[in-house]
Parts: sequence; C-alpha cells; structure tokens
Amino acid sequence: MATKTINVDYIARVEGEGSLTLDIRDGTVEGVRLSIFEPPRFFEAMLRGRRYDEVLDIVARICGICPIAYQMSGVAAIEDALGLDVEPPIHALRRLLYCGEWIESHSLHIAMLHAPDFLGYPDAMAMARDHGDAVRRALALKKVGNELLRLLGGREIHPVNVRVGGFYRVPRRTEFAPVAESLKRARDHAIETLRWAASFPFPNCARDYEFVALRDPIEYPMNHGRIVSSAGLDIAAADYEDEFLERQVPYSTALQSTLKRRGAYLVGAMARYALNRDRLSRELQGLADEAGIGAGCRNPFKSILVRAVEVVYACGEALRLIADYEPPSQPYATTEPRAAVGYGCTEAPRGVLYHHYKIDSDGAIAGARIVPPTAQNQGTMEEDLRAVATAGLDLDEERLRANCEQSIRNHDPCISCAAHFLTLNVNRA
Amino acid sequence: MLVAAIGHPDRGDDGIGPAVARRLKQQVPTGVRVIECGGDVLELIDEWAGCAAAILIDASNAAGEPGRIRRLDLVTNWLAADFAQNSTHAFGLAETVELARALGQLPRRLVVFLVEGERFDIGAPLSPLVTEAVAPVAQAILAELAHCLVGKPD
Repeated sequence: MATKTINVDYIARVEGEGSLTLDIRDGTVEGVRLSIFEPPRFFEAMLRGRRYDEVLDIVARICGICPIAYQMSGVAAIEDALGLDVEPPIHALRRLLYCGEWIESHSLHIAMLHAPDFLGYPDAMAMARDHGDAVRRALALKKVGNELLRLLGGREIHPVNVRVGGFYRVPRRTEFAPVAESLKRARDHAIETLRWAASFPFPNCARDYEFVALRDPIEYPMNHGRIVSSAGLDIAAADYEDEFLERQVPYSTALQSTLKRRGAYLVGAMARYALNRDRLSRELQGLADEAGIGAGCRNPFKSILVRAVEVVYACGEALRLIADYEPPSQPYATTEPRAAVGYGCTEAPRGVLYHHYKIDSDGAIAGARIVPPTAQNQGTMEEDLRAVATAGLDLDEERLRANCEQSIRNHDPCISCAAHFLTLNVNRA
Repeated sequence: MLVAAIGHPDRGDDGIGPAVARRLKQQVPTGVRVIECGGDVLELIDEWAGCAAAILIDASNAAGEPGRIRRLDLVTNWLAADFAQNSTHAFGLAETVELARALGQLPRRLVVFLVEGERFDIGAPLSPLVTEAVAPVAQAILAELAHCLVGKPD
C-alpha cells in the first residue's frame, strides 16, 4: 500500500495564514484538510458588554481589506434591533462606501494575488516586469477605492466615520468631484482589466455548487436583500441560523458553515453573479458574455472574471450614486437603546456576511454572532481541492501543489476574517 | 522632492515616522512635500511619481537596539529580505518598493531611514530611546535633502 502526504505549510497570496494537507492512498485522495491557524480572535466575546454604538468601530478591526463589510452588516443588524430605517441618502452613501471596498478589494485580488497563477509568476512583483500596464491599472483602481473609503469612512483602513443611524459626517456634493473624475477613468481601467483577465488560460472545471447570495428586488446586491440560493432557498436574514450551521473541525481555528439540509455551499462573487446577473445592465451582461462567463459560470478558475465584472459594475454604480447624491437632512439619526435582537446580512467582497446581536435594555451587547464569508466557503474549498487533486494525481508534486494553491485563491479567502489560512501538505501512501 | 513618514502615531514606536514628519514640516526647504502615510503604502508609488528624490522614514522591528538609526539606499538595495511577510492584508514597504522597481517607477533617489522600535503597543507613546532618535533623524533627513538640492552624488 503506497501512501503520500503533500503539505503546503503557508499558502501565499491569500489574506491571512493557513495550510493545506492532502492524504493520498493508492492513487486516491482520501483526506483534504484546509487548516486555518490564525489564532482565534474572540471578536464575538469581545463585543459582549460593550455598548451597541461601539460595535461598528470594533468590528471594523476584524479585517484590513473588508472593514466596510463588517460595518455594513453590523449597522444593518443593530438598526434592525432598534427598529430604525434611515433616510434614502444614508442608504445611498452606504452603498457608495461598499462600492469603494469592492473596487479596492477585488482589484488587489485580481492583479496582485490571482493573476500570477494564470501567467506563471511567483508573485505580483515578478509579474509586473512583463505586465506593467495591468499592474498600473490595478494600482489606479485600488487608489480610487481607497479615495471613496477616505471620503466616506475617514480613512482607507479600519474606517471610523460609520455610526449607528448614519455617518458622523456626510460630504457636501462638491466634495465628490475629484473622485468622480477618478471613477470615470477607473471604469475604463476596469473594462481593460476584464479583457486582460479573459485572455488567461483557464483549466476546464465545472463544479456543482449551491450558490448562496443576497437578492434585492431592484439592485445588484450589496447592503440589502433576501438570502437566496440556486437550490431554492429564500429567507430573511433573521432566519439564517434556522438554515445554516456552524461547526468546529479539529484542524482549524475557523468554524465551518454548512446548509443544514444540504451541506457545503458557495458564497462570493460567483454566487452573486449567478443569482443576480439580471440585475446588471445589458452593457455589463454583454461584457461578461464577451469575457466568456455568460449566464452561468461554474468554473471556479473563472471567478477572476466575475470579480472583474463586479469592479466595472462598482465603478459605474459609484458614479451613478454620486450623480444622484443629495445630502441627508442630518448626518445621522439619533438612537436610544432598547432590549432587542437584530439581524444583518450584506455582501462583503468575498460573499454573504451575517451579523446577529442581542442588545440589553441599557444598550449593552448581550450576545453577538458573526459568520464571515470565508468560514462559509471552507467546505466548498475542500471539495474543490479534492476535485483538483484527484484530477492532478499524476502530476509532479510541485505542479499539484501549485494547482491546489490556485484552487484556494479562486475563492479569495480571507483567513484572518475566518479565524476569526495556507500551507499545503500532501500525504501519499 | 518627497519626505514620506510611514507609521501610526498611536502604536508606540511605530509613531516615529509621524513624529519626525511633524518636526520637519516647518523646516524643509521650499518644494519639499512632507506626508504621513498611515494607510495603504502602495499609494506611495503614486506619491513619489515625478519626484527626483524621496526620503522615507519607518520604524523597524525590535532587535535589541531601540532607537538605532539605519539609512538604506533603496535604489541599490533590496528591503524584501528583512520585511518578507506571508500575509497580504496589506502590501508593506518592501513589496511596494519592489513593485515600483519592477514597474520602473522608483525615483532616481530613494532612501529610507529606519529607526528600530522597542514596543508597538496600541495607544502607547514613543519609548524613551526612540524619542531621543527623533531629532537626529530629522537632522539627517534635512542634510539628505540639502545634499539632493545641490545635486551632489552619494
């Protein structure tokens, strides 16, 4: 009996630290373990006892790449608990802020973290020597995303301007002029980036995912919508815990999520696109068709194209929101604490992010639950790895290792969020 | 010319860059921009575009000699070996410099002053030995700027 173990001790070009172990026995992949060894971060416990109006500044610290997502799901859940519906301009500013985060997060992943896999480079620095224009476009896009975060969030990393009821300060119309100019150029850069990525060689792969994403009656989902799936799920955020289960696995500090009735599922750009393509303009659908992702993309290696479509969308949507912007009557609505429970679900760049808070009558947080997208995708990432490793059993170890790492990066995991990720170990026997 | 201070003023000795920048703002010659960079370091590539020279100030990890000042010419030296990281939550200074080098977007002259920190606690002030380094680093940067302005070679 021949056994072999392949280990990747640190998976590079992902957000955070984790490892991967494949156990191969007699030519069969017997075990796949995606281990997240970021230390547990105890954010949910840290929130207990803090005031409801301190939550948004604390949860922003969960992630340096997607702090807005944590603030948006957090504010949705707390305002749900308080029974507060903010005025439309506040909703618009929150969506604009989310556009900024999608642009900077997706652009970083597309060009700096994922593209080198397709083009055969060890990292973005090596790739930049031959694909300088693509990297410059990505830097320009990331900068525009950062500009939006600075304008609306106060700073680009761990923003401080979001509060329950609205914003500490809202911009005047004139303050948007410079970023609007940058966004017009950025949208062109985003289209070029999509066409560049569409030229990559993509492995043949079709996975039978259950996609889970938000769906809004009108908009491509960011801050609002019901939680829907490709298998017919259609629930409110308040019903999330009835349908989804978090469980501990012994080899990971991040909880894994499953659908109670059907198991692993996929959140993120591919799921959003699959379930909301009809919410994109004809022009964007045409660009997606031209890039080769059509109506249904089930090839995880092509997720880079879906993210590129979403960057084009976010640039255009940001321009629309700026053009339509009318300042709110007041920057924020004042709130009073009450004993209540609230639920919030929004679309982080990496997918559905669920928050649930229980607030005491004095405003203290009595219970908190935060389920990040990467935690939800772990089971599916392991299933992807099993498929990729099985298809690549005859490959030499270095190639197999590279394919497995690329398979993980297909889902842009944010390991720090999930451990609150990657090294590949392959055991062949 | 550009002077860019990297670091966070409320993270103990990580605040050395901002502390030096605030001291320099009133002292630098006309035409020199002093900025503080506490967020996305990748944006430095844009900041030094068109600059003949850029001088950076950053804290380096504790290694037993807090307050030690090192000057490194980044046009002729690589920073990556000292600052390699596995996480990509943010591209650090080393990655930014190497990305700019690959893109052919380094200024003609790029120097970093590194001050070794002792503690990086949230909310902490600069430690005493790092505080003592503020004035000499500021002086060294002014001398470097004067050197650049008269166009002297290294």
